[in-house]
Amino acid sequence: MSFFSLEQKWFKFVKSSQIKLLAFFLIALISIFFLSVTLGSFDFNLRDLLSRKSDSLDSIVLFEIRIPRVLLAAFVGASLGISGASLQGLFRNPLADPGLIGVSAGAALGASFVIVVGSSFFPEFIFGTFILPFSAIIGASFVISLLYIFTQGFGYQGITYMLLVGIAVNAFASVGIGILTYISTDSELRGLTFWTMGSFGGSSWQLIMPALIIISLTVLWLIPSSRKLDLLQLGEPEAYRLGVDVRRLKFKVIISSAVIVGLSVSLSGMIGFVGLVVPHLVRLLGGVNHNYLLPGSALLGASLMMGADLLSRILIQPAELPVGLITSAIGAPFFLWLIFRIRKS
Amino acid sequence: MSIEVNNLSWEIEGKSIISNISLRIDEGEILTVIGPNGAGKSSFMKLLSGDIETYFGEIYFNGVLLNDISIQERSFIRSVMSQSQEIVYDYSVKEIIEMGWLNRGLSNYSKDFDEAIQKIAIECSVENHLEQRFNTLSGGEKRRVHFARTLIQLWRPSGSLEPRYMFLDEPTANLDILHEQKMMKLIEKKKNEGIGVLLILHDLNLAAKYSNRIAIFSNGELVDIGKPKTVLTDKTLSSIYGLEMKIDKNPFRINYY
Amino acid sequence: MRKIYIFFLLLPFSIWSACDKSNDPSRVVIAGGSITEIVYFLEYEDKLVGIDVTSNFPEETSEIPSIGYVRALSTEGILSLKPSLILGEEDMGPPLVINQLKLTGMDLKIINEDRSAQGILEKIECVSKILGITTQERLNKIKNLTRDINLLQSIAKKNEDKDIRIMLILNMQGTSPIVAGQNTSGDGFIKMVGGKNVASNFEGWKPISSESIIAYDPHFIIITERGMSSFSDIESLSNTTALKFTNAAQLGKIYSEDGMAMLGFGVRTIKTALNFAEIFSK
Repeated sequence: MSFFSLEQKWFKFVKSSQIKLLAFFLIALISIFFLSVTLGSFDFNLRDLLSRKSDSLDSIVLFEIRIPRVLLAAFVGASLGISGASLQGLFRNPLADPGLIGVSAGAALGASFVIVVGSSFFPEFIFGTFILPFSAIIGASFVISLLYIFTQGFGYQGITYMLLVGIAVNAFASVGIGILTYISTDSELRGLTFWTMGSFGGSSWQLIMPALIIISLTVLWLIPSSRKLDLLQLGEPEAYRLGVDVRRLKFKVIISSAVIVGLSVSLSGMIGFVGLVVPHLVRLLGGVNHNYLLPGSALLGASLMMGADLLSRILIQPAELPVGLITSAIGAPFFLWLIFRIRKS
Repeated sequence: MSIEVNNLSWEIEGKSIISNISLRIDEGEILTVIGPNGAGKSSFMKLLSGDIETYFGEIYFNGVLLNDISIQERSFIRSVMSQSQEIVYDYSVKEIIEMGWLNRGLSNYSKDFDEAIQKIAIECSVENHLEQRFNTLSGGEKRRVHFARTLIQLWRPSGSLEPRYMFLDEPTANLDILHEQKMMKLIEKKKNEGIGVLLILHDLNLAAKYSNRIAIFSNGELVDIGKPKTVLTDKTLSSIYGLEMKIDKNPFRINYY
Repeated sequence: MRKIYIFFLLLPFSIWSACDKSNDPSRVVIAGGSITEIVYFLEYEDKLVGIDVTSNFPEETSEIPSIGYVRALSTEGILSLKPSLILGEEDMGPPLVINQLKLTGMDLKIINEDRSAQGILEKIECVSKILGITTQERLNKIKNLTRDINLLQSIAKKNEDKDIRIMLILNMQGTSPIVAGQNTSGDGFIKMVGGKNVASNFEGWKPISSESIIAYDPHFIIITERGMSSFSDIESLSNTTALKFTNAAQLGKIYSEDGMAMLGFGVRTIKTALNFAEIFSK
């Protein structure tokens, strides 16, 4: 009987420079968190806050409105970042992103469907319960299963093929959302436009707590598989021969992505490009191994998203810009640059 | 300890790829499989590697059925090198080699690790490239790096008696003459350290020079198996390759016309 | 989650008591163009601290801070203006934000909209009650408006007997018009002027085909000004689309009008409706 154990501890195979970078990301995250919490359209009277008048408006805005919102932005950013990183690893494709390959659209479609169809039966229940996030997760899983089938189990098919499938799914989801918009009544419509632009407004503790817990657990579940994602880069047969249960790894990454992207979309609509841009930035800064890449993408994604939300809140205050607009404005040029870079090599 | 193959057969969609093959691979020997294209050599290696799940016949590793050995356990017993796929991300050469380092409960990321990597990198002549990006290497250099990874996978603390095997499918492809010889000598060295080696080669002279035994495949069947000088005959080779061959005895050399 | 149920349980009550006088109408935020119009009509505009983007009449509204689109409001943004009263209509959103504002104890009143002349009057009275308007001048203005409404209603009644078919277009989606179906503000407007909405077979604002346009054969066609912004004038609109096959186009009975003035169901809608009712009565 062999005395070798199998647990791949994540902190092995991380360079010391990468550990320093991760620490830096963490510090940046905490700093941006404090920045986001203190800045905004609402001016706080610090004295009121510090004298602990718990029913003052200042206190309510800070603790019941702003902090939940910033936390949600952080968790959604982390979800999209780490999902993008793990999908890029799974597909062995640097252009994988929950948005580009249609996962976000699938989640939005699932959620929209429930809004329009469900609102004829239980209007009040929709936002209050887990039906909405659950249907978003189902929508996201459905898309990932389609991708699985069309890429024959995520075999190495080349960038073009995967993007084609993503384009098809996005088109399909647009049609679906379009049909739903068409048959919806005016009051349901106000819910649908939200999905395509993204926003963290209206977040409250009751709304986000279950999601934050589930996202945290899922991320913690995913991270130990990082080393296996490295081995997968050699090719599926190679990884298999190195002891990786490839099928199980695929399912793990798929389910994690579906859950965290589905939850994120159900709470904040579709926010594009974060899953694409963040892993590449993280790689550029410190290297490609997944033990560093996955946690790094989560941390950097959280920071960037909080920053984008901050901008969305202050650029045209007291009005708000949809946060998806800001991430696209930065992400789209970066995407183009990425394509050129791949074309060169 | 050895690998035992009994009556192995495998087919795809009704077409027979491997037909009733039985043989044995011992620790500390090099068994080379030769034969024309489509003879089933690579498929045979895939079957032994555990890539394929359904087949007829039995494969035993050290007395245990392959199907009873978990995926992780298999990686401790045998390492495989075959056609490699493109690596999409910018891993360094060192990182690629490190991927062969299976997690060991006791000496995890220890001094052993750094020493072993260094030593094997030198053996494979890639020690100067360790910090380079893998994708900037030439085809032959990449091959040597994969070979280093295959060797690291079988690395054990000295004094370990665990039986290990190495499967290599055309390891010398893309290598210049110098590195071809260096690799064959390295494989020989590992054999002498006790590793059982299953080799697929197309160069018959190379096979004759380095193998302890040779297995001749043709049309999915085992035509003959034994010491090189015994099984490599004019008649056998000419018939399976469809090419006129003549063998010189002293020095042993296969000529083809 | 419990709080959301309570909110919806109280909703019917909040509508019923929506016109109660506000305790402190000194800093008002409005999400809804028609309400803003009413506030200017009642000469209460100096108390406005924030308005949404649909509140674009009169011109002076551009100087008031904008809280964004009525369906995509920001809780903190609105609160940063330190309002004492928030007024809006049912389309205020998103629901989560409205809920959040209510939970902070903000005085948020959703004003019922009934798309008719009487409904407008009730809206104006509701707003004036909330703001505590008692001065005689302002009350007189309401009286004058009531006169206009009575005139409108009498002309409209006469129009009803004439069976006047009207098609109301929001905008053009390429060459397909988006037409007012049942239960839309457009439908409400058509009823106000005493006409019959040709689009009796569908709900909401929907694009319709060229064949339907011809089948509907309206006597009059009304389109919003923004809706025909991609056309230089009414002639080019009717010539380049299927509208040219209608009787209305051939007789030159296509009219364009400011969208909010017509469909906002604020003060301007009365005048606009009166205007059209008179045109159609001939």
